[in-house]
Parts: sequence; structure tokens; C-alpha cells
Amino acid sequence: MLLLEYHNLLIQTLLTERFNSTTPTSIDQIISDFDGVTFHVSTPESKTKILVSISVKCFSDLVKYGANDVLRREYGPYVVEPEVGYDFSIVLDLENLPATQEEKDELIRKVALLRRNAMAAPFERAIDTHHSLSTEAAKFTAESAPETSNSEVMAIHYREEEAMYIQASHDRVTVVFSTVFREETDRIFGKVFLSEFVDARRRAIQNAPQVLYRNDPPLEIRNVPGVKTDESGDLGYITFVLFPRHLTRQRREESISHIQTFRDYFHYHIKAAKAYMHSRMRRRVADFLKVLNRAQPEQEEKEKKTVTGRTFTRAT
Amino acid sequence: MSQSLRPYLKCVRSSLTAAISLSNFASQTAERHNAPEIEAGRTPEVILNPLVIARNENEKVLIETSINSIRVSIKIKQADEIEHILVHKFMRFLTQRAENFFILRRKPVKGYDISFLITNFHTEAMLKHKLVDFIIHFMEEVDKEISEMKLFLNARARFVAEAFLTPVSSFHGAAVLSWG
Repeated sequence: MLLLEYHNLLIQTLLTERFNSTTPTSIDQIISDFDGVTFHVSTPESKTKILVSISVKCFSDLVKYGANDVLRREYGPYVVEPEVGYDFSIVLDLENLPATQEEKDELIRKVALLRRNAMAAPFERAIDTHHSLSTEAAKFTAESAPETSNSEVMAIHYREEEAMYIQASHDRVTVVFSTVFREETDRIFGKVFLSEFVDARRRAIQNAPQVLYRNDPPLEIRNVPGVKTDESGDLGYITFVLFPRHLTRQRREESISHIQTFRDYFHYHIKAAKAYMHSRMRRRVADFLKVLNRAQPEQEEKEKKTVTGRTFTRAT
Repeated sequence: MSQSLRPYLKCVRSSLTAAISLSNFASQTAERHNAPEIEAGRTPEVILNPLVIARNENEKVLIETSINSIRVSIKIKQADEIEHILVHKFMRFLTQRAENFFILRRKPVKGYDISFLITNFHTEAMLKHKLVDFIIHFMEEVDKEISEMKLFLNARARFVAEAFLTPVSSFHGAAVLSWG
């Protein structure tokens, strides 16, 4: 499993099981996802009505950038008043499901993508802004094009210390992630990984979005309130520049999903590399121990016999 | 093995062989004590001059000898901060298992990455030339291991980055969707 999946596997299996079974049961389950997102799947009223609620740390940010519209578009008929303590809720009525299996699977997939869709709002808005800006810019010739065609920077504080900044312009959409490393090892491993991200485009994949990495805030977001300048070197900024070819109608959904997984993917692989190092060191230590034990002269195992002539081994 | 590593290891080997000539020696300062004199350091007359064998400023071995114990400290090559962190992690891994390693010291001598303490009791229980073999083997392998781990980390990072930037989507039902 190299790439992370966009949907929540637990919700998917849970709903698939419920949708396909004939006997409804009560559910009350809290599911955690990346970035402090929590789901609550329950059957508060009757066993056939499944309530799925989501709580996102940065929901107020997302609402500001149109999350409610996106969610209503995706889940229209299922939306209900948010459950207490959660930001958004939908109800699935088992007695009122779509008829065919394909439609059911599609619904399950949609619900499992709840987190992705909630986070997608600012990206969608940025891409829409980009399209309108680019049609506008097309009216001008290269010389007379207005210089400042950048839209506002959208900040999403999706984690305690980390945030995502999205800015649209007529020829690109820029996504900036800020990262903090808690630990020295993570910081150094992270640096190795990031430099490879930066180089990957140069080396192999020319069509990939441009990736930049720096320790001080990039120019785009320098004026955004709350952007910390870095003193210790723990803070880093990763910039993805999405070009129009990533933002076409066919590609945009995929691009949005994919870029959202970046942080989780990146950290997941740092952890994986650390785990590998650990097991490797463990093996090497066992190897050293074997060499050291060669230094101990072998105890000669003489067969010991009792007076009556039976063999006798000492329990060690 | 590179050209400068061979004489370095050879020098360490012969110095160690010469230095490990230990005998039992009870403490002169405390009755019924028998401590490694190089650690106790209370009896200057049984401590010999320390010896440093250096390949370069980043790689050296310190051998401190006394009548009943010898302390060998190794500084491992650390070219950049990746190697530094790998060496640090690896050495911590080893020192946490010092119990099993008999001759390993829990804390390295200041300025070095790892220390071994060999007393006369060790040389009585174990074969001297095999102990020297172990230390030489250790020095050889550690360098190799660290550089292999570093290479692996870079290779993995490269692979991971390329995989992210050329995604193959199966979830959305499309065969191959790439960024480009």
C-alpha cells in the first residue's frame, strides 16, 4: 500500500455490511480519521436510520470557503441538522435505499468520502476562481494583462500547528502546507523526503505539479495573519503549484483528493522508514552479538554418567 | 575495503592486542574492592598513557589502558546530519542492550560515540583474539551499515516522491490517472 486511499475504510465496511444485511442492528461507533477528524456512526432513533456525523477541527474555516454548499451538493437529500458536538450530519434510511446494487455502492462511496468532501470546498473554490480569472485574462494581450490577478489566500488551520494555504491565480493554483516536526529524527528524515519531492519533477515526471520547499513563509502567504516566521528551523513550507492541466474538469476531482492526502502520505512514509531502520538495527545487533559470543570458549559437553551407568544431563 | 581503512584497522588491531594484557588487581584504596582501575582512576600508578589512533578528524579510536582494564572508545564517521542521526540511533540501540554485550559500556566517553570496557574478568572468560576480532568487525560493519541505511533512505524517499507525483488511481474507477 504505497498511496493512501481517499475514503474512510471503516465507514465503508460498516455501511456495506449494514446495507447488505437483512437484520438491522443498532450501531454506536466513533471513528477517528487523519488530522483529528472524528466520525460518529449511530442509530439514535431506530435501527434502520443510520446517523453519520463528522467533526472537523477547521470546520469554521471550511464553512467560510463554501463547505456547506459542497456538502449539500454531494449529500443533498440525506443532510440533517448536525448532531450535538459534531459539525455535519447525514441520515441514511435503510428502508429507503436506492434500488440497485451499483447505486448503493455509489452511496457508500460517497459517505466514506465525507472527510474528503468537507475539505474539498476551498480547493473547488480556488479552481473555480482560477477558471474565471483565466477567461478574464484571456481577453487581454500579454502586455496589458493586469499584474495582480491573484485572489485572496484561503487559510485552513486543519491541525493544531499546521495549516494549509490555497491561492488561485489566472495561470495556476498554489497550495502551501506548513509543517512542524516534533522530533529531530522526523525533521531530518522529512528533509530528505522533501528534497526528493522537489527533485522528482526535474528528474522524471515533467508533468507533475511543481514542488518547492523552504523554511521561511513563501511570498504568497507572507501577509496572511497567523503565519509564523521561523527561528528554530523546525517549521517548513511546502508549496505545490498546480498548473491548468491539473485543473481541467476531468482531472480536478482527482487532483483535489490527491493533494489532500499529501501530509498524511508524507508522514506515513517517514514513520515507515523509521520502522524499517529500527528492524534493520535490531537485526544488526543480533549479528554483532553472534560475533561476540564467538569469543566465549565452547564448553565441552562431556557425557555424565551416574553410578548406575545412566546418562545424566544437568538442567540449565 | 578502501586503502586508508586497512592500515587504520590494522593499527587498531595490533594496538588492542598489545593493550589487552590484563591481570587481576585488587583496589589499593578500598579494602575488598576490585574495580576496573581505568574507571575508578584512584591509583594513578597503574594507569598507562592513553592512545589515540585517528584515520581523520571524524574517525578515531581512543584506547585507555590500566593494569586490570582497558577502555576502547570509537568515534564513527558522520558526514552529514542524516548520518549523525543514524549513528546516534544505532548507538542508543546498542547501549540499551549493553547487558547482553558484556564489554559494552552504557555511556560513551565524552567526544566519542561508543565505548567498550574490557576487564581482566572478561579476558579470563573469553578468548582475547576473538574479542579483538569483535571490535574490528564492529568498526567495519558500523560504517557499512550507516552508509547502507542512508542510501536506503534516499532511495525510499525518491520512490515515495515519484509515486505521489504520478498517482495511479483505482478508487475512482479510472484505469490510470496521472497528474500530467
